[in-house]
Amino acid sequence: MKPKPYLSSFFLLLIAFILSLAIGSVFISPVELWKILRGLGDETFTFIIWQIRLPRTVLVALTGAALSGSGAAYQGLFRNPLADPFLIGVASGAGLGAVIAMSIQWPYSFWGLMAIPMSAFIAALITVFIVYFLARVGQTIPTTNLILAGVAFSSFATSLTSFLMLRSTSEVRRALGWLLGGASQAGWTAILAILPYIIIGLGILLINGHRFNLLQFGDDQAQQLGLNVTRTKTILLIAASLATAAAVAFSGIIGFIGLIVPHVIRIWFGGDYRRLIPLSIIGGASALLVSDVVARIVLAPQEIPVGIITSLVGAPFFLWVLRTAKNQGYW
Amino acid sequence: MIRKTLILTLLFALAITGCAPASSPTEAPAPVATEISATEAPATEAPAATDGLTFTDDMGREITLTGTPERIVSLAPSTTEILFAIGAGAQVVGRDEFSDYPEEAKALPSIGGSFGEYNVEAIVALEPDLVIAAEINTPELVKQLEDLGVTVYYLGNPLTLEEMYGKLETVAELTGHDVSELVSSLQARVAAVDEKIMPLSARPNVFYEIDASDPSKPYTYGPGTFGDLLITRAGGYNIGNVTTDPYPQLSLEQIVVENPSIIVLGDSMWGVTPESVLERAGWESIEAVKSEQIFPIDDNLISRPGPRLVDGLEALAKILHPGVFE
Repeated sequence: MKPKPYLSSFFLLLIAFILSLAIGSVFISPVELWKILRGLGDETFTFIIWQIRLPRTVLVALTGAALSGSGAAYQGLFRNPLADPFLIGVASGAGLGAVIAMSIQWPYSFWGLMAIPMSAFIAALITVFIVYFLARVGQTIPTTNLILAGVAFSSFATSLTSFLMLRSTSEVRRALGWLLGGASQAGWTAILAILPYIIIGLGILLINGHRFNLLQFGDDQAQQLGLNVTRTKTILLIAASLATAAAVAFSGIIGFIGLIVPHVIRIWFGGDYRRLIPLSIIGGASALLVSDVVARIVLAPQEIPVGIITSLVGAPFFLWVLRTAKNQGYW
Repeated sequence: MIRKTLILTLLFALAITGCAPASSPTEAPAPVATEISATEAPATEAPAATDGLTFTDDMGREITLTGTPERIVSLAPSTTEILFAIGAGAQVVGRDEFSDYPEEAKALPSIGGSFGEYNVEAIVALEPDLVIAAEINTPELVKQLEDLGVTVYYLGNPLTLEEMYGKLETVAELTGHDVSELVSSLQARVAAVDEKIMPLSARPNVFYEIDASDPSKPYTYGPGTFGDLLITRAGGYNIGNVTTDPYPQLSLEQIVVENPSIIVLGDSMWGVTPESVLERAGWESIEAVKSEQIFPIDDNLISRPGPRLVDGLEALAKILHPGVFE
């Protein structure tokens, strides 16, 4: 079988997209969807699609794309199969920023409500910044240092977050809801807010596929092959973290997608980063869309936070892929 | 240099979040004699018209109603109880997952609410003309519904019984009902309790248990909560008052020192029995355990800020002073 990676990935994304638009408290069939797109659909359904489901679908797709794309990038940067976009503290930094913002009574206005995602975003970037400088040794950024500094700072930020959550008991529910991951309370504003960062971040990663491949040889080898290793690492780190921070700002911490989707792509289509990055981006969008649909239907009308579903559904799927892989030594 | 700035920033952040508002409500009981009866949902009366009235909700938002709301969605159990108690039950078309009182509320469709996630689509699909949010709902949810063109009224939590009557009146205004009778009967029942409590000099120490999954560090009500308020009003001393936290976790040592003579089990609905308390290690020296004065109670009567708080007050009074209340 000669798989056409891009064709099949886009096809999967299209299916996931349509599913996400069709499924909800009322099932809107693809035929109906087509009518609504042309402006001929039922009034209530049209409203639901344009104002509720479409923004949610687009946000979930963007989040999944950003998380998987930066997950693949982190795995390439650290040359470590366990790397995920939250390795050097983006998640814990964002969580801390959000919880600090939640303990302040913001006015009920546009900017007041934007305060929490903005704090999460800024805190995530500050965290990466701090970890980067903590890990720097002279002119180089040793990978081990980055991981250690990231893990240590993550633990610190997480403990601080838990402490703050215990202190303001009235906001615990809100904080927990955010931390578990929920793409439901957003809308077109959220999409417009994060779109530039995701485009810039993922864009930079997309055009650097060959540089990722070079980095796989090791820092010294890559340097000798003509790559400015420190500068490349810095740029790629910033790009990946930018995309992740934007993804986390409105959707909270959604784990597993950034870790597993790149691995699935690797098993199916190989580890060439020129292909791995774009396919991870598309695959991540599909994966999170499917998880979101499952989160909506499993206990309807309850909506389970999607962060719970990604691991519950993703883990067995990944294990199945791993077991049936023809290429067992794929890393 | 980075480390110093970091430590300073974090200390600053901690300082900001260290302020927890704690109000201690005080009330002057007014003795009036009447009989005590349980709160039931009255027969639903036809609502009066509320045409084009503007209201300011507890978030400072202005909402306008074009006519009496006939399709109300409630986002919190306390709101549902209030709506049914004032006679607006027939106007409610949807409720959150946790609304379980009265029985009729359970028959209404649920629009989510566990894990803090509400099914916005389901809410919109019900085509509500009024959604009443409570403090348990986030401002983000209110904004999201507002953006979708839904009229949302945010009802803040009352801190005293007077404020609770005020909330009843507000919801009654919104839905076109008259609650003067309901409020009078509630006030009368509260006054009846006050009258019997006033001459009593003995105020037993009470430990109200919200959760004791870890029996060495149970949770209780502190100052600023209705639990504390009602225990005090029912003629007891809530040992949760040793802290300033509204929902403190007391250590077993502290409880032993305070030595409550009565333990009220708010977690009885989760299966905690007085017998299980008697078996807890380290609890033997507590007065309430020695004299087996441990009583279950329906925590919903104490924690939901609605008219059933008066039921809770009466239940507590019966537990604390059984000789005076039958």
